[in-house]
Amino acid sequence: MSTLDIFTSIQHSALSSSISHFDHLVGAVAQLAHITGLVLLLSSLVLVNLRLLGFGLTGQPVSKLAAATNKFIWIGLGLLAISGLFIFIPAALIYYVNPFFWYKAELLVLAITVQLTFFHWATTTENIKPILSKAVGLLSLTLWFGVGASGRIIGFLN
Amino acid sequence: MSIVEFSQALYDSDIGTGIRESLYLFPAIEGTHLLSLAFSVGLILLTDLRLVGIFLKDVPASDILLRLRPWVLGGFAVQFLTGILLFWAEGATVVKLAVFWLKIFVIFVAGLNVLWFEIKWVRHVGDWDNQAVPPNTVRLIGWASLTFWAVVVISGRLLPYLSNYYRT
Repeated sequence: MSTLDIFTSIQHSALSSSISHFDHLVGAVAQLAHITGLVLLLSSLVLVNLRLLGFGLTGQPVSKLAAATNKFIWIGLGLLAISGLFIFIPAALIYYVNPFFWYKAELLVLAITVQLTFFHWATTTENIKPILSKAVGLLSLTLWFGVGASGRIIGFLN
Repeated sequence: MSIVEFSQALYDSDIGTGIRESLYLFPAIEGTHLLSLAFSVGLILLTDLRLVGIFLKDVPASDILLRLRPWVLGGFAVQFLTGILLFWAEGATVVKLAVFWLKIFVIFVAGLNVLWFEIKWVRHVGDWDNQAVPPNTVRLIGWASLTFWAVVVISGRLLPYLSNYYRT
């Protein structure tokens, strides 16, 4: 079964038609949940990554800021994922042909991988070389803002 | 000159038309307007959560307020600038939408809330700086700020949504 087949069956599924049935309301609510998740996720990442870069709340340990924002990051991602599915499922075939949908997917996989590896390491390990903290901060911000930017471009190409 | 005529003049101007019809400029400005939310409203959200007593409770409130201030103000400066450019290109469409005026009005109210907070409470921050749960009025200001900015973001997100809806 090809990816196109999968996307076609998603768009033609019963779930897809029941979402489309409430089109405007569900669409608007999903968009609002998506931007709420974005603000929650990105602001937490900005706070911690600025600290890794040596800005913002420099009086506090990195580990403390990471622990305090951890649940916002995952609640934000959860909101983004669920609302994202509601945006994606009724229009799977439109996204299939949109190159930025695929860029976003790739960047998202990279960003989550960095989140679970380098970011986790840099925010839980003590006495890291500043150059390494800064590199992780910059990488994390670049990837997550890249996900956001490519997500925004999807809408302009549809 | 009414605001409708003014926004139409901007819409018809070379700059307005140029932004609107540019393949790259309009998405770049809109994307920047959206993503700088993480600095402006996003860092305000985290500050408000400190003020209402549910985030970084053992960090002095002044520490969060002062150290994040340049980033918050920078974020808002970018949003203001990109917002003006978006209005230049699309103002004639959005001035007809009630939700646009709601957004502008609530930004104004949120600004008054901040002004009152800065004058009345930040100057005397020494009195409540280390309280895990700040005084009732400060918490009220924090909840009000969270509400106002939520309304601003929601009404802002509805703008392109409703513009397209009415256009088609």
